[in-house]
Amino acid sequence: MHHTSETPRRPSVLHIFKIYYPDLFGGTLTVIRDICASLKDAFASAVLVCSQSAERREIVVNDVPVERVRSFGNIMSLPAAPTYPWRLWRKIAEHDLLALHAPFPLADLVFAFGFGARRPLVVHWHADIVTHAGLRWFIQPLMRRTLRRAKAIIVSDHVLVDNTPLLREFEDKCHVVPFGIDTSGYDWPKIEPHHVNDRGRLVLACGRLVPYKGFDVLIRAAAAHNFETWIIGEGVERPRLEQLIKELGLGERVRLLGSVSDCERIKLMCLADVFVMPSVTNAETFGLVQLEAMAAGRPVVNTALDTAVPRVARHGMEAITVPPGDAEQLGEAIDTLIRDPERRRRMGLAARTRALSRYSATAFKQGMETVYRNAVAASSEERSTAAEPPQATGWLDTVRIAAALAWSDMRHRYVRSLLGPFWMSLQMAIVVVVLGSVIGQMSNTNMLARLPMLALSMTAWTFLNGVVLDATTALQNSASLIRDRALPPVIFLLQCTFRQALFALHNACVPLLLWLAFSPHDLSHALAALPGLLLFVACTFALSLVLGAMATRYRDLKPIIESTLMLAFLASPVIWSSDMINHRSTVMRLNPLTHLFAVWREPLAGGHVDPVSIVYVLVALALLVFASVLTLVHLRKAAFWI
Amino acid sequence: MVSVTLRNACLDYPLYGAYDFSLKRRLLGHLLREPGEMRIIRAVDNVTIEAETGSRIGLAGPNGSGKSTLLRLIAGVYPPSSGSIALQGNVVPLLGLNAGVNLDFVAEDNIALLLRISGRKPTRAVIDDIWAFTELEPRMQRLPLRMFSSGMLMRVLFATATAFPADILLLDEWLSVVDEHFAEKAEGRLLNMVSQAAIVIIASHDQPLLRRICTSIINLDHGRIASTVTVEPPVTHSIELREKRA
Repeated sequence: MHHTSETPRRPSVLHIFKIYYPDLFGGTLTVIRDICASLKDAFASAVLVCSQSAERREIVVNDVPVERVRSFGNIMSLPAAPTYPWRLWRKIAEHDLLALHAPFPLADLVFAFGFGARRPLVVHWHADIVTHAGLRWFIQPLMRRTLRRAKAIIVSDHVLVDNTPLLREFEDKCHVVPFGIDTSGYDWPKIEPHHVNDRGRLVLACGRLVPYKGFDVLIRAAAAHNFETWIIGEGVERPRLEQLIKELGLGERVRLLGSVSDCERIKLMCLADVFVMPSVTNAETFGLVQLEAMAAGRPVVNTALDTAVPRVARHGMEAITVPPGDAEQLGEAIDTLIRDPERRRRMGLAARTRALSRYSATAFKQGMETVYRNAVAASSEERSTAAEPPQATGWLDTVRIAAALAWSDMRHRYVRSLLGPFWMSLQMAIVVVVLGSVIGQMSNTNMLARLPMLALSMTAWTFLNGVVLDATTALQNSASLIRDRALPPVIFLLQCTFRQALFALHNACVPLLLWLAFSPHDLSHALAALPGLLLFVACTFALSLVLGAMATRYRDLKPIIESTLMLAFLASPVIWSSDMINHRSTVMRLNPLTHLFAVWREPLAGGHVDPVSIVYVLVALALLVFASVLTLVHLRKAAFWI
Repeated sequence: MVSVTLRNACLDYPLYGAYDFSLKRRLLGHLLREPGEMRIIRAVDNVTIEAETGSRIGLAGPNGSGKSTLLRLIAGVYPPSSGSIALQGNVVPLLGLNAGVNLDFVAEDNIALLLRISGRKPTRAVIDDIWAFTELEPRMQRLPLRMFSSGMLMRVLFATATAFPADILLLDEWLSVVDEHFAEKAEGRLLNMVSQAAIVIIASHDQPLLRRICTSIINLDHGRIASTVTVEPPVTHSIELREKRA
């Protein structure tokens, strides 16, 4: 026996970052890609990033679906992608686990507003904000909120927790998972202990051409010494670096290679004699490329940052560590290694051993998988223990279900006819034309100018009439949903209002067309009429609630309501207006419908509402609300009546 | 913690006759001082049930003994006349399958609407999952339900109603409607759902079914609890369930 709902589904992970392949290459992206690839048996990964390219939004990179939200450039190292928060919010619901690659304040913004609070979140802490530290006062609170709701924080080395005050606050959540690399690719060409390049002067560096990478320091160091420097990578700093190379006259010896493929890069690493990582700020937290160089058996020259950088390749063992930003010492260190082939060989061997043993891909995979699994498990536990309040059909659900039912009612009208509810609009157009001509005969006024208002009044009346009439039968028609699915009866009364509102929107095309044809187009009047219109709708709903419940309890009310509505239609200024009759009759003044129409019709016509009308309508609304509350209490018993 | 607690719950069911629905008559009755007597039947009488996580309660009894009414009382359709009802956890009452169905709509839209009614978001994947369970041809998703035979309709409705697990599941006699092959599959899914729900209360005439599923069976008679039978031994039963699912 098989059950489709039972097949074990891989939990899905959404990786959240600012940029992804193929727009850029870099350490963080390698990490995301490696996570996706190594966990593909246990988790289904997806990536949501920004992209400045106008190409396709949804692409697939290494079997992982990537959605790229359009970005219009970078502001303060952040993509200007206005729709990203919205897309993120939409995507959150589709995944079981969220993996945020920090820092990315745009995503922090979404989490800070409490979106996606029901999904477990894991934060990969790649770096602190260093480049635009002035923005810290604004961004730090956001990040703190994100970290507070995170299930786990993953860092590559414990030193990051020690040196980052923000992370220290959440020390118990931090998990150290050192990056790992698959070293199998670095066996090309076969690295032999004796293989030492005799030229002895190729220095390699690799990374995005951005200020914190410190390539300018490397270039200045190259000026004082006699070695060849190749820099792999692309980025905004390129023009400045090119300028610097030209100024120092190093065009012969220093080359910017641009982006190269993974395979090429590995080849170059195996060719080089010394690998240099001249990064100057703590934005460099780990230095995945130096690990790659180590896997390729290269000695490293790195900088004494407060991050994992000098701990991955340690001074005197796999690397020579120099103070960041010091071109002189950097040059000296490189020169030392170049002059000493034996030391290079020793360090290279030690580096390779360390890369293989300490930073293996297997350990990385296991560490990640454990953290992810625990996060998913913890959250599902929480979800099951957090007992929802009984009868969780809150107001929002009620409205949502009513709206869904009303929408389906409207679609039903379209099932067998192309025009659907527009048939009613057509019918109303005919009524308006006929009535308009008749009334025009009676009152000798310019009927053409009055037509839009007549049509609109008819639309409003049709709405009110329809809501109240529907409400009288709504509960009986939905008996099975109330009794068998235990839905609150108020849903079906609300459904009447929603359904008739949708029909009214169809009908509204008649007054709209007439208005466009016959009236001066003044939108400010329409805006002024909005509050009155809202009052009208609110009163209609409250009235339908009361009458709907009563008509369900007392069946003989329905014919009475029907005839009263007919009478009200004739006695209220719907098809005629009060100024057609010279003196205001008592009946008209007492009729609440007169005022209910007046509160939105007068401002629409450009006039002022009589304060009496407003008071009258507000009092009526207050009474109706009171009656509605009473009705809602009694509606508990509605299941007996149907 | 999921629980269902009924303490001395009573339900007086008012039986409205044709005259009782008349407002005119009621008002006149007041004027004429005619004693407006309303016939009332005690549909649930002094019922006390305590169910904790893991309880599977069967309700048995002849027609009109108050099984369905008791389920509706628990679901919150009727307010209790006296006594108290306390629930913890979300309740999924599946008392009738065809509530909310629109025969003019295509099957797909109906499924989406039914899911929305139960507060779920109908995504493509969920609908496809449900459809796979019905074993009907995929292109039939685009046909109006009116064209479905009653058996096929039942499959669609059953698959939709049972698509999501529940904390507290209330079931009323609704397995007897489909053909043999599907009934077996449906029972399998139901058992699976029952095994996932924390509390299940099921009303049925099918004694063997109740014995297979439930940990205790309550026999109702005229709204009263006539007897409570604890089904033994519950341990082997859960193993049996698991085997059935495998």
